Amino acid sequence: MKLFLSACLIMCLAIVSLFIGVAEISSYEEFKSVVFLSRLPRTLAVILTGLSLSVAGVVMQALAKNKFVEPTTTGTVEWAALGILMLLIFWPEAPMSIKLIIACLFSMVGASTFLFILSRIQLQSDLIIPLAGIMYAGVISSVITFIAYRFDLVQSIWIWIQGDFSMILKGRYELLWLSAILCVLAYFTADQFTLASLGKNTALNLGLNYHLTLFWGVTIVALISGITVVIAGIIPFVGLVVPNIVSLIFGDHFRKSLPWVAIIGTGLVLACDILARLLAYPYEVPVSTVMGVVGSILFLILLTKQKHHA
Amino acid sequence: MRIKSSNLIKATTAIALSALVSTAYAKTIEHTQGKTELEKTPTNIIALDLAAVDTLSTLGAKITGLPKPHAFSYLEEFAGDEYISAGSFWEPDFETIAATQPDLIITGGRSQKQYPAMSKIAPTIDSTVWGEGFLTQFYNTTEMLADAVDKTDVADAQLDAIKARIETIKTSDLNNKNALFILTSGGKISAFGPGSRFGWIYDDLGIEPVVKDVEAETHGDPISFEFLQKVNPDMIFVMDRDAAIGQDSNAAAALLDNELVHQLTAYKNDDIVYLDGYAWYMVSYGLTAMDIQLSEIEAALGIK
Repeated sequence: MKLFLSACLIMCLAIVSLFIGVAEISSYEEFKSVVFLSRLPRTLAVILTGLSLSVAGVVMQALAKNKFVEPTTTGTVEWAALGILMLLIFWPEAPMSIKLIIACLFSMVGASTFLFILSRIQLQSDLIIPLAGIMYAGVISSVITFIAYRFDLVQSIWIWIQGDFSMILKGRYELLWLSAILCVLAYFTADQFTLASLGKNTALNLGLNYHLTLFWGVTIVALISGITVVIAGIIPFVGLVVPNIVSLIFGDHFRKSLPWVAIIGTGLVLACDILARLLAYPYEVPVSTVMGVVGSILFLILLTKQKHHA
Repeated sequence: MRIKSSNLIKATTAIALSALVSTAYAKTIEHTQGKTELEKTPTNIIALDLAAVDTLSTLGAKITGLPKPHAFSYLEEFAGDEYISAGSFWEPDFETIAATQPDLIITGGRSQKQYPAMSKIAPTIDSTVWGEGFLTQFYNTTEMLADAVDKTDVADAQLDAIKARIETIKTSDLNNKNALFILTSGGKISAFGPGSRFGWIYDDLGIEPVVKDVEAETHGDPISFEFLQKVNPDMIFVMDRDAAIGQDSNAAAALLDNELVHQLTAYKNDDIVYLDGYAWYMVSYGLTAMDIQLSEIEAALGIK
């Protein structure tokens, strides 16, 4: 019931999002073209991105067995950006599908190397994992900057991967449906992730094919990261904040919490995109900037909340 | 006695001559970062700014070296082996520049921050043109560069021609459409208004801006296709930044090829003008760059 009510709330946000835009609509013809070519695709893109980024965050957290990681703080997204940079240098006119494949392959490398590094370091505190992730992401980002600097592409690459929905039109977001399908698949395999998050030994004792689950999780995270980076750019904090809010309220049972993660994630990104369009109207602020501010505030609130619980 | 006096005459003549030489060639060049003394007309010049490369070569002065990675499009000849590669705008090759023993270094625009470091190697002048009063600054900088290499006559003639063309554009009856200047980069669009980096087309050429309050930032305000549809300019000038720096040249056209753009007046009347990004963005205020830019505006407005 609560879930249904929240879904209605998201619908309201989506409808608000449909009505925000620069164009003035005076005839039915204009309405048709603006809504179907621009507004509806944009709203759908925002919904699909919010949904899949937060699910990717949850899966990443289960795989790393830590609540303070997400694809943008563990190098996965940076690897996707590195892939796009390589294309900018060697094949600038590459079609969208190639960009997508390259970005996904690179994020796959990123996510798996991060998990490999985790399996190799001695963990003395829960903070080591997010710190290792941030350092790893920092190293990859400096590699990107170094290469981009050499090729005079620093501005291009950062503009390319800055999270922003302003250029979304009919025909330019449809690949995001793929990441929504991945989220549905993640829901059906949610129990495996719950088991995997208990640790390798426990999971193996409970009869889980641990390595297969790990591989499946990495695939989900990498594909979602790759797709969203290519279509919408990097949007930080969604995958970090949303799962933490949900786990504070609903606990850590994946099958139960995943729908909530999806709904809250969608709502958060929808709200931020609406803000991004209104703050400097009729111009736009990149949604990643808005999300950076909103997300970090939410994260700080969550951190203080968690102390009370402990 | 006779020997002594002849010696004295020789010495005096020598002193007088050397004084004459130094007064004849000593020149003080005033530029955006101060004053620089030149002892003679420089012949071994390192230009770290493309506009300076463009202007000097248009004036007929020879340069020795430049940031070669940025020399392409109409400045492609400067990528040849007869020129020394002086690094990039942001990362000049100090060793090579010093080893060349230049008698003049020119910084400007993207390399203006190198001015203090370059001044330690050789006499350096800065030729940056930025911000308010683009055209006035362009005239002054061109005169300043021409003065440094003793080509003032050539520069005057060229600038007079440019001023005449600008006057024609400004007063032409054909200059009656409103316009929007956009820059595309990394698949995004930003808009430029009066007072901005490309604002001189409104401010100095008298083209009517379709929106007046676009903020004057380096890369403009980001806009959506709906914004284009709402303001619906008569003309759209498109600067493809990715093409300007040597990337995929069809990026801007591909980005603008969609149903929303197809509904715009500018699209229907074939008034979306794709500009030479290298001249507008990379070089910007060189003499030949200015000639290219004005030609494009003239062609867009239908002025011969």
